Amino acid sequence: MTCRDIDRALIEQEDPGSSQLPAAVQGHLAACERCQSLVRLLGAPIKDDMPSPVILLRIERSLTKDLRPVRPLRSLSYFFAAFAATFALLVAFGAYRPGGFAILALSPIQAAAILLSLAASVAVLAYSLVQQMVPGNRQLRPMCVLSGVIILLSFLVASLFRFRQELSFWQTGWACLRTGLTYALIAMLPFWLLLRQGAVLSPRVTGVMAGFLAGLIGTSILEINCSNFNALHIMMWHVGVAALGGVIGLAAGFIGELVLPRRSKKNLYQ
Amino acid sequence: MERYQQADPEAPTVLVVAMSPALLRFFRSQAASREHADDLLQETWLRIHRVRHTYRPGEPVLPWLYAIARRVRIDGYRRTRRVLAHETTVDVLPEPAPRLLPQGPFPDMETLLAALPTAQREVIAMLKMGGLTLEEVACATSSTVNAVKQKAHRAYNRLRKLLDQAQFSTTQIGGGSK
Repeated sequence: MTCRDIDRALIEQEDPGSSQLPAAVQGHLAACERCQSLVRLLGAPIKDDMPSPVILLRIERSLTKDLRPVRPLRSLSYFFAAFAATFALLVAFGAYRPGGFAILALSPIQAAAILLSLAASVAVLAYSLVQQMVPGNRQLRPMCVLSGVIILLSFLVASLFRFRQELSFWQTGWACLRTGLTYALIAMLPFWLLLRQGAVLSPRVTGVMAGFLAGLIGTSILEINCSNFNALHIMMWHVGVAALGGVIGLAAGFIGELVLPRRSKKNLYQ
Repeated sequence: MERYQQADPEAPTVLVVAMSPALLRFFRSQAASREHADDLLQETWLRIHRVRHTYRPGEPVLPWLYAIARRVRIDGYRRTRRVLAHETTVDVLPEPAPRLLPQGPFPDMETLLAALPTAQREVIAMLKMGGLTLEEVACATSSTVNAVKQKAHRAYNRLRKLLDQAQFSTTQIGGGSK
């Protein structure tokens, strides 16, 4: 038995139904002064720190002032479906352009790989966003999700398409970026309307994820319509739309974080 | 909580009285002054009120409540940092006194917690002061049970060292006074 085992026992003790330290660690505990001190510290009664009655009264008043019944948030699968449906509708709308189905020129493997990876990315991002709408929900790590999606898409593009020199790289790229971003910006509105039904605790994180998801709408439309199969073009100007959407969402979230606390502070002293 | 969602006029009072001491302890354990902790407490309740519809009946309340409190604390910290960044000192301030552990026979939990890194302090405060389970702490902090266990383990290691230091300094003082 070591101090590490005592730690483990103390941590396991936090789980319901195991309030006593197991007998196996008692031997070490009897001999180790450091562990005794730690156990004594953790087991000591907690100092009673009561909020002042004035503050409690003020809180109660502010809560009961405009107390109205509220309907609990709809199920998370409803919101997941709503995100997915918004995505599908906007992509269908954007892709439906006469003669724009450039994806038909791709081989079935290329088309399937791109569409499936986009669908998987959308599913993960939508799931992550939905989880963020309810406080205390298990969440996927935003940075892992975003970097995972970018790496997956970039890897697929690099392995499925060829890199080649292009004379009008910037002009064609700018046209794609503009089209993709237009759809991304349009998508941000319904996404925001959906998100505001929940509790966005971290506007920055939610903003970047929602912006990225909106950007993926632009990416998907470009993947379907754009006939430029240069890997560099796709990486920079198609996948770039999603990344740029994320940046716009981050900026929006940052502004939101600055504005929201001021609003709540105002309510506090009303 | 469900009664609160249904606008039972007594529900907010019951909830505020029952949960405020634990929330205040949580804020105090995060090295906040009493005034600042009171502010955070009020802000937490306002935010709870605003998002009360996101609580799903039948689910445990504590992770939901602490996730909101944790966010309020982070926002409060950022706000304070922004304010401090804009403040300019017009005079030379005296050197702050080094943060020492109290020289009593046995330091209390709050004093020792203040010396822990934020993430570890948060986990220990929720486990020991808030009475949350590992699973609930994981939900409240948007992490995994294993990550919570790891933080708790590191915190215990650090607490041992702090206790050693405290006991060593007590012995030194005891020896010096003889």
